[in-house]
Amino acid sequence: MTAPLQMSFDVACSAEHAFGVWTERIGTWWPSDHTATGQAELVVLQSGIGGRIYERTSDGVEHDWGEVTVWEPPTRLVYLWHLRRDRADATEVEIRFVALDSTATRIEIEHRGWERLGNAAGEWRDRNRAGWQTLLPHYLAAIEKLAATNGKEGSR
Amino acid sequence: MAQAPAAGDPFEALGDANRREILRLLSGGDKPVREIADAMTISRPAVSRHLRLLKDAGMVTEEARGTRRIYHLQEQGLHAVQAYLEGIWGDAAARFRLLAENTDQEPDR
Repeated sequence: MTAPLQMSFDVACSAEHAFGVWTERIGTWWPSDHTATGQAELVVLQSGIGGRIYERTSDGVEHDWGEVTVWEPPTRLVYLWHLRRDRADATEVEIRFVALDSTATRIEIEHRGWERLGNAAGEWRDRNRAGWQTLLPHYLAAIEKLAATNGKEGSR
Repeated sequence: MAQAPAAGDPFEALGDANRREILRLLSGGDKPVREIADAMTISRPAVSRHLRLLKDAGMVTEEARGTRRIYHLQEQGLHAVQAYLEGIWGDAAARFRLLAENTDQEPDR
């Protein structure tokens, strides 16, 4: 078995905010080139079990690359993941949002199921590790940006 | 990647009546700051602040034309809002979009 990829880091916000930015606000931070086409206009993660994860390009074509399998806001999220692979090759991502207090949350990510890819498992796991490293700074920036404006008056 | 992600929050940008009014004015065509300010009750510096926030959120852009800066609507911020709607309302939001795109406008009667 190929070992899961595991990542953990703390963010300075509530678990609700961290969960919301990952899910309903994904379209504000997911990089448009971190997609199947490399030029997505829109990235959507639909709420609830069975929710689709997909991109849409400017000419209206949709590409699915995931499906939500566990939806427990604001503490736990699991989805199938097959960006740039067939759905039959889907791996699994689990994200836990562990509230440390009302303004601090530990985020634990486990990306597993590489053995489904057979001989390609090791190489695909390495590529995904690099992918997570480029992705997460976008999420962290969005957490900060969206938290900074939460509850603040919209205009002066 | 066509555009860098917007630095601001499009949802905050929409959460203010003056900024929605600016977007409405721009939906009628590109405009310089002065023309936007003339159509509103707030001061021109206030209009400029709102425009900066809308620009940060990817909802408007500006271009220099001679000595003037002309503002126009931009879709980038809209896409983040659309992604949110589709994420929550799912296929209902997508159906609405398809309907909106495929419905010919009725001629005025």
